[in-house]
Amino acid sequence: MQVAIQGPWSPLLGRLTLSAIPYTNPILVGTFAVAALIALVVAGAVLYYKKLGYLWREWLTTVDHKKIGVMYIIVGLVMFFRAFVDGLMMRTQQAMAIGPHSPGVLGAQHGYLPPFHFDQVYSAHGTIMILFAATPLLTGLTNVVVPLQIGARDMAFPYMNALSLWLTTAGAILVMLSLFVGDFSSAGWVGLIPLTELPYSPGVGVDYWMWAIQISSIGTTLNAINMIVTIIKMRAPGMGWFRVPVFTWTTLSTNIIGLTAFPILGVVLALLGADRYLGTHFFTAGNGGNLMLYTNMFWIWGHPEVYFLVLPAFGIFSEIIPTFSEKPLFGYTTMVAATFAIAGISWAVWLHHFFTMGAGADVNGFFSIATMLVGIPTGVKVFNWMFTLYRGRLTFTTPMLWALAGLFLLLVGGITGMMLAIPAINYTVHNSVFVIAHFHCMVLLVAAAIFAGVVYWFPKVFGFQLDEKNGLMFFWSFITATAIVFTAMFALGFQGETRRLDYIFNPAWRPMLWTEEAGMMLYLVSIFYFLRMLYVSLRDRVPVASDPWGTARTLEFLTHSPVPFYNFAVTPQVNARDELAWRREHGLDKAQPEAFEPIHMPSNTGVPIIIGMLSLTLGFGLIWRIWWMAGFSLLAIIIAVIIRSFDKNLGYELKPEEVAAMERNLATASIIAEQPARTPLTEAEAH
Amino acid sequence: MSAPHSNPLEHPEVRQASTWRYLAGFAATIVLMQAALTVTLRQHLPYTEYTLTIAGLALASLLAQAALFFGLDISRAQIWKSVSLVLTVPLFILSVGLTVWMFHSLMQRTMIMPQNMAQPTMLQ
Repeated sequence: MQVAIQGPWSPLLGRLTLSAIPYTNPILVGTFAVAALIALVVAGAVLYYKKLGYLWREWLTTVDHKKIGVMYIIVGLVMFFRAFVDGLMMRTQQAMAIGPHSPGVLGAQHGYLPPFHFDQVYSAHGTIMILFAATPLLTGLTNVVVPLQIGARDMAFPYMNALSLWLTTAGAILVMLSLFVGDFSSAGWVGLIPLTELPYSPGVGVDYWMWAIQISSIGTTLNAINMIVTIIKMRAPGMGWFRVPVFTWTTLSTNIIGLTAFPILGVVLALLGADRYLGTHFFTAGNGGNLMLYTNMFWIWGHPEVYFLVLPAFGIFSEIIPTFSEKPLFGYTTMVAATFAIAGISWAVWLHHFFTMGAGADVNGFFSIATMLVGIPTGVKVFNWMFTLYRGRLTFTTPMLWALAGLFLLLVGGITGMMLAIPAINYTVHNSVFVIAHFHCMVLLVAAAIFAGVVYWFPKVFGFQLDEKNGLMFFWSFITATAIVFTAMFALGFQGETRRLDYIFNPAWRPMLWTEEAGMMLYLVSIFYFLRMLYVSLRDRVPVASDPWGTARTLEFLTHSPVPFYNFAVTPQVNARDELAWRREHGLDKAQPEAFEPIHMPSNTGVPIIIGMLSLTLGFGLIWRIWWMAGFSLLAIIIAVIIRSFDKNLGYELKPEEVAAMERNLATASIIAEQPARTPLTEAEAH
Repeated sequence: MSAPHSNPLEHPEVRQASTWRYLAGFAATIVLMQAALTVTLRQHLPYTEYTLTIAGLALASLLAQAALFFGLDISRAQIWKSVSLVLTVPLFILSVGLTVWMFHSLMQRTMIMPQNMAQPTMLQ
């Protein structure tokens, strides 16, 4: 039943041999040296400052939604940087390999990347940016913000929340591991069929791609369940549905998409896995297989995934624009309705990703109209934001600038999206870099929202603001770089440059390709300012009030900055849609509780990270066909789950006097403070 | 639907769990999916009847899992789950329905065959 594979295989190491280590590739050896150096510095610092125990007790085993959110964001930023370097490598290759007389170095005939390596780079770039950068960054932000915004103590399932993080991290580690052990898929982030089938990709690259996504998407699905339950069941008293902040609404809709769409990705990858491992023919060209079935199923997930990313971004804009316009959001009800309209329509547009496949005019026409319909609720949102800005008292802080730049990117991405929704135009520019420029406008709008959100909510979590001066430099260099790279790319698309080219045959494209490369250099400058912003902010650490912006409107800015690990000393009673603005108007924003009640908190546990790391070895075993490793890991996961299900830990309780003491000395309650070991509740105490 | 959160075994949904229903759900699913596999492998039925048969078996399997394995019903503890499942029906109609329409269109336009081979078979 198992498929025969090319090359050596041994029971102990499966397909893994010394030749899988790319020690002859200078680029990868250099990358490994840098990665190893960073790892050594981090590990050395942890050991030197004796923080290993702290790291384990307070972070790696935590179930606190804020710490989990912060770790999601760190994973997302690391992967974002990795995928940016992939993008830089692609642009540099295209800037070098122009025309038949362009020189080649490092084993490449033109440029510096041989086609096999270039193909892996673009596959990794897309896969990481969508699934291991944007998704964890947004999941991290929603993890941090949503429970605070609805006045909850934590997520509905704190243990499952930690498990989601570690499954996503396991997937991210697998992608990174493919740099140094074996190789990555050459079949694009979408898994171009039949390239992903075993006869066309006999190596382990596709397996890395497939298992990394499979494992992390289980984490994303679990997180979606958690978030939906949290929003439905854990809102503070008084927060009826029409008092729910818009970011929470968009998180709810996006996670409904996540819960319903991600299983399709799981199924399509499982079927592909059955083809590659068991010799079935779901997506082969013969024996009853159907290539287009893969493409169809992939995009049934893939297009809702686009809205999975963009809806929280819209939610972030809807929080930031009113705060820095000093006005309530215009058209709250229509904003919520538009959010769910977009989520609903997202299920009926996926075929626009393959208009050119050959379906009839009726089918293409249906999907074309459905795609254009998305423009209506999106337009409603844009006008709502514009009317919020209109006659507002505007403050152009960095979050506001990111939000406004995001609106501009939405406009450009949206209009080019409307063009692409017309099948006749789509036939003309399909597979060209025009499409790439279009969807980069959309995902960079998501990136703009992420940066806006990180700057906006950072002081809430850590108690000090990010440096505004360097933040502005970061913003302007990033946005200018975006304009330079993607304006040139739109032009190249119209000139006929197809995507994924490792060699440019037309020297007339050189000026635009070099313009793109100049933009990429400017992105490097923006990274410098981003790091400088972090450094200066950490160095100065200027403390801020509970509402660091002074004009915030929602519940999360009611509690202290930095937010205590128990979120609110007393569960707030919600009186209005913009609760903080309402309290400010009524002179209640500084009111403190007169008495405290015991707070029930969940205990930390090491089981999620153990399961996450076992998932990593399970994935590694499956990729390299080391069956004993895969079997042992799966068995260990099952045993860990069973042991956890018999765990009688009922959490612990913070006594009112302890809460009062921490409210007086907030540094002891912040999420970076080390907490004393606390005794779990007994069965009798819990009742 | 207030539920004690300190002891999962006291949760009303857990208290409704039943071993025989799990076993019956498991058995029913195995039988129905085996039937679908057998029908597919034998290739005796004409195309339309075959499609309807495996679609019916898939639906029966889904219902068996929902009713027996997950214990979905309209009791107070389970109604929200049952309603959630029903709410996904439009998504099935959209994704499966539009897919069938698209493949039907695609087959007519791209799988044109000589006259004597025009009868579609199961593998198409």
